[in-house]
Parts: sequence; C-alpha cells; structure tokens
Amino acid sequence: MKLRLKILSGFFIIVSMLFLAGIWSINELSSISGSVDRILEDNYKSINASNTMVEALEREDSGILLLLLGHWKLGRRILTSGDSLFYAGFNIAYNNITILGEKEHLDSIKTAYTNYKNMWETPIVDTEREGNLTWYSDKLHISFNKAKTLVNQLTSLNNTNMYQTAMVVKSRANRIIMPGIIAMMASILFTLVFNFLINRYMVAPIVNITRSAQGFIENDTPYDVEIESRDEINDLNKAIMTLCSRAYKRRLSS
Amino acid sequence: MRLHILLRFVGIILLLNSVGMFLSSFVSVYYSDAALVPLLYSAFILALFGVFPLIYVPPVEKITNNEGLLIVIAGWLLSCLAGTLPYILWGGEFSFTNAWFESVSGFTTTGSSILTNVEAVPKGLLFWRAMTHWLGGMGIILFALSIMPFLGTGTRVLYHTEMSPLARENFQERAKRTVQILVSVYVGLTILETISLIFCGLSFIDAITHSFATIATGGFSTKNTSIAYFNNPAVEIVIMTFMVLSGINFALLFLASLGKLEKLWHSSAARYYLGALAIGIIIVTINIYSANYYQSWLSALRYGAFQVLSVGTSTGFATADSSVWPSLSHMLIIFFSLQCACAGSTSGGIKTDRIVILWKTFVREIKLLQHPQAIIPIILGKQPIEEEAVVKGILYITLYLIITFVATVLLVSMGMHVVEAFSGTVATMGNVGPGLGRIGSMGNYAHVPAAGKWILSATMLLGRLEIYALIRFFMPNNWKMYSSF
Repeated sequence: MKLRLKILSGFFIIVSMLFLAGIWSINELSSISGSVDRILEDNYKSINASNTMVEALEREDSGILLLLLGHWKLGRRILTSGDSLFYAGFNIAYNNITILGEKEHLDSIKTAYTNYKNMWETPIVDTEREGNLTWYSDKLHISFNKAKTLVNQLTSLNNTNMYQTAMVVKSRANRIIMPGIIAMMASILFTLVFNFLINRYMVAPIVNITRSAQGFIENDTPYDVEIESRDEINDLNKAIMTLCSRAYKRRLSS
Repeated sequence: MRLHILLRFVGIILLLNSVGMFLSSFVSVYYSDAALVPLLYSAFILALFGVFPLIYVPPVEKITNNEGLLIVIAGWLLSCLAGTLPYILWGGEFSFTNAWFESVSGFTTTGSSILTNVEAVPKGLLFWRAMTHWLGGMGIILFALSIMPFLGTGTRVLYHTEMSPLARENFQERAKRTVQILVSVYVGLTILETISLIFCGLSFIDAITHSFATIATGGFSTKNTSIAYFNNPAVEIVIMTFMVLSGINFALLFLASLGKLEKLWHSSAARYYLGALAIGIIIVTINIYSANYYQSWLSALRYGAFQVLSVGTSTGFATADSSVWPSLSHMLIIFFSLQCACAGSTSGGIKTDRIVILWKTFVREIKLLQHPQAIIPIILGKQPIEEEAVVKGILYITLYLIITFVATVLLVSMGMHVVEAFSGTVATMGNVGPGLGRIGSMGNYAHVPAAGKWILSATMLLGRLEIYALIRFFMPNNWKMYSSF
C-alpha cells in the first residue's frame, strides 16, 4: 500500500470514529428534544385541561348548593360559566389525545359529565328539590364525584406518561454521553497506535536509510538497510542501494 | 518483545469480535430493536482497530513463547473489553462494571449475569451476549488461528499457550490440524443442536442462542427463567444431551464421530466424567424426591438430572430453583461446580482429568505404604503420564482451592453472605454461572457490590485461562519484556 494511503487511512479512522459519534449524539439529542416537546406539548397540555375540568366541576358544585339555598340567579350564572369552562378544558384534552386508551377515558368522562349535567339542568329552585339535601348527597354528589374521579384519573394517566417519558429522556441523556466518551478514548488509543506504527514503519526506516547513506558517503561503510514494508520507502531504499552499488563500482573502476 | 506483532494478532482477534457484532446487528435489524446502533458503532470501532495494524504490519511467521503468552492474554482481555461496548452504549442496567462482568462472563463461558430482567434487553444484544459465549467457548485465539493462514510456528506457539496442557495430551495431530478438528467439532455440534431445538418448537433465535450457550458450556439464556421458561421436556432432553457432549474432550468426540467409539470408553477421564454425572443424578433425584420437593419420581428425575448435568458440565442453565433444594443436593452442586467436565472440552473447573490423576496418586500412595520400593506409574488413557504432569495437576488443584478461598474471604469482607460468597466464587472460577442463594439458578449477580463483581470477573478469567497463564503474565520477570515496547 502506498504511503499516502497508509497515512490517510489513519486520519480517516480517527475522523470517522469522531464523526459517527457526533452523528449519533446529534440524533439522540434531536430525539431528546422530541421527547421534551412531547412532555410539554402533549402531557402538560392535557394535565392543564384536566385541572380546568376539575375547577369547572367544583364551581358547578357550588352553583348547585346556591340553587338548593334558593339563589336562582347566582346559582345559574355559576353553573353556566362552569359548564363552558368544563367544555373548554374537555375540548383541549380531546384534541390532544397522545396516550393509548386516552380517547376511551375521555369518552367516559363525557358520559359521566352529561349524566351529572342532566341532574342540575332541570329546575331546582321552587321545586321539591330546593333545600333537599338528601337528593344532593344521594344522587347529585355521587354523580359529581364520579365525573371528578374520572378527570383526576386522566391527570394521573398523563402524569404517569410524563414520568415515563422523562425517564426515557434521562436514559437517552446518559446514552448521548457514552458514544462521545468511547470515541474520545478510542481516538486517544488509536493516536498512540498510529504514532507507534508511523514511527516504526516510516520514521525509523527513513532514519536508518539516512544514517546508512551518510555512513556510505563519509566512511565508505556498505549501504545495507532492510525495509519490511512494501511501499515508497522500500522503493527509495532499493534505489539508494542501487545508487550506492553503482557509485561503489565506479569508484573501484576509477 | 515486538509490539507490532502483538498489534497485528490482537487486531485479528478484534476483527473476529467485530464480525460477531455485525452478525448480531442483523438480528437487531430483523427485530427492529434499540441495539442496532450500539452494535454497529461497536463493530465499526473494532473493525477499524483490527484492520489498521494489518495495513502497516506485514505477516510474520515466527513468534516467541513470551510473545505468544502476551498475545493470548491481551487477546482475552481486549476481547472482554471490546465486548462491553455494545452493552455500555445501549445503557439499561449496564454500568461499566456491570458490562465488564457480563462480557467476561460471556467470553469465559461462565453465564453469570447481572441482568434482573433479561427479556427487557433487545434481541440483538442478547444474540451478541450468546455470541460471546460461542467465541469464548472454543477460545477466541483458537478461532483466530483456524482462520489465519500461513502462520508457521506462530500457530504452534499460540496453540500451546491457549490450550489446556491436559487437553493437548489427547491430540496427536499437528497444531494447525488440531485447531481445525476442534473448530469443526464445535461448529458441527452447534448446527446439530440448533436444528434439534428448532424441531422441538423453539424459534430460530432462541434455538441458536441456546445452542451457542450449550456448546460453549456457557449458560446465558434469552429468558428470565432460563430453560424453565419453555417447560418442554423435549427441549430439556436435547439441551441435556448436548451439555454432556460438550463436556467431553473434543478429540474423543472427533474420533467417536469417525466410528472409533471405543476411544471414548478407553479414556478414564471420560469414563469417570459420565459415571460421576450418573451417580450425581441418582443421589439428587432421591434427595429431592424424598424431601417432598416433587410429587413424582419422574419430576424429581427431570429437574434433578437437568440441574446436575447443567452444573456438572459447567453450563449453568436452569429448569428449577436449586437454591431451595436440600443441603445434600447443595453439596453435590458445589462438588460438580468445582470438578466440572473433561479437559479438551469447552468446560471450566478443575476438570475430571485432574480429579482422576489426584485419585490415582492417592491410590498409589496407599500402595506405596505397603510396597515402599515399588515403581507405580500413573496411567491415564492407557499411557503412563510423566511425574511432572502429576505434580502440576495436584499443584493446580491446590492453587485453585487457595484462590477460591481467598476470593471468598474478600467477598465476605464486603458484606456478602458466606454461602453466596463461596458458591459464587466456585461458580465463577469453574465458569459454571449460578451459585446458591440470591445468585442461584433463578437469581442473578446484580446485588453483588461493584468491587465484588471485579473480583468475580478476575476469578472467571483465572478459571478460563487455567491460572498459570494469567499468573505468568503478571510475573515480575516479564515486566522487563513489557518495558521493551
């Protein structure tokens, strides 16, 4: 193999080790970035939406208690605003389904909420239900609790998913470091090997050739250098050997 | 000492590892698992390190004994180090210590694992894990020798350094031819077992990984509950058969395959090996049945036979949790973990050949008490063996037990339970794998302290390289040689 190729192969190896480690790290980094996006955009959005729904349900519960006390106007106003707040949160969650089984869970929230809403939509004030705390505790509050529990479960579903994604990010972050460390250590080790081989198969033969040639010129010692490799240094050695042999013969004949 | 020669040979060994990783990456591609990039990157780095010295260093025919020793030790250590790369890059449970332990356990065919959930590891990485068994089982240096053409006297030097001295006695062929016989028996057994396991209903990947682990007498499984996962008597029978075969001297197996079955019977070590296993199975079966661990004799025989053969051949597979068995069975498991199978096989441990030498020496000493002037040679395989070999064999057993004791004391001082420390040392030194207690057949080494894992890795290497080579490597008179680089 030619000297140029031999030297180039060494540099190619170092560069390719670092290059591949770099590519891998970039790929893992972009994957981490995607995971962080998922945490922020998908899970966090759904958790916020769940909190909004819980807040809406709590407001509606207060509105119902006001209706039971006979405050029709204030109670209905709170119920209407709670209802629109609930649907605002619900729609955000419904348009942000990212977890397996999340859609089915949202459907069951919708059913539970519709049942709950059907109970308080019909008039309460000036009916037998006004002041009827038994109706509130036996029917309405149970329906309210069911809807609220389902919304809380949605929060916990997203929290779990967020935790799992964070764990994946953590593991990926560790993984990004490793190719870099291995590439660095491999490059250092490789540089030592490269240096040794360059020294043994390029520098040392040139030094030997130079010394032997100088010996021939200055002291007439025979030029005798053995080169192991089959490259330009070997060709150079042969050429110098021929040159010295001819010079020696010419000197003898003169 | 010529460093460039070392670089060339180690380069070839690293290339062999690289090929193993490339093959494993095909499995990753097939299963689209997360091990693909770690395997490819590791293979690429090793290939570069392997090819580079070949570009510079021209082929050599002559190497000295010291160079041979250095090549073998460096080849083993660097293979173990290279084997950690895919594990570290994949992550999961693999810290550097854990990856080193798993890699050494793989290459030395020990089969002890730090993994608490094997099935969570990508298939490609499990294939590489089994591949380390297969490469290490035959001896990675012997594998390299079988593919290296025209090495001249180098083959003989490396072969003599790598092979167990007892195993060499059985080979009357030239080094190169012996290596070829060994590799052909090894590959042949692997192919046969893979086909048999596929016929028993295992998937190709499960069949080949378990074949790698059986023929190498390794013990890494792709399942958390090892062979018990399959709950298939046919699979167990196939694995038991190949475990027994892999524990027999490969030269005898080769001769048997040529129709010379009588050679198998003429070998006292092989006779003792098969007899000891049979007696072990009978005692364990009676013991676990009479202690009401199993409802029928057949069940006791099924599980007892598998565990005895698994430990007695230094494989380490499991179909039952032998940690909960009675003490007599534990004692037998410890005995078989110390003894293991025949020299010239892929098995570890003291080896039956040395046990036979020890027994015959003991009998001779008794006879000499009656006839002090008598000259009684120790005969092994119809031929008297030299007194030097007898002394070396007994010295080896003594050294083996001393190292086991020292490693046990060190592990106990780290807070390990004495039974776990002792059985773990015996199991790793004999390249068996499972010990007793939490490191038993259904357990793992995950809870062992980090320093303990390094000690156990060292015992695995000492056991695999039969102590002397590693000790010779670290002898002070060799330091002068290393400083001449």
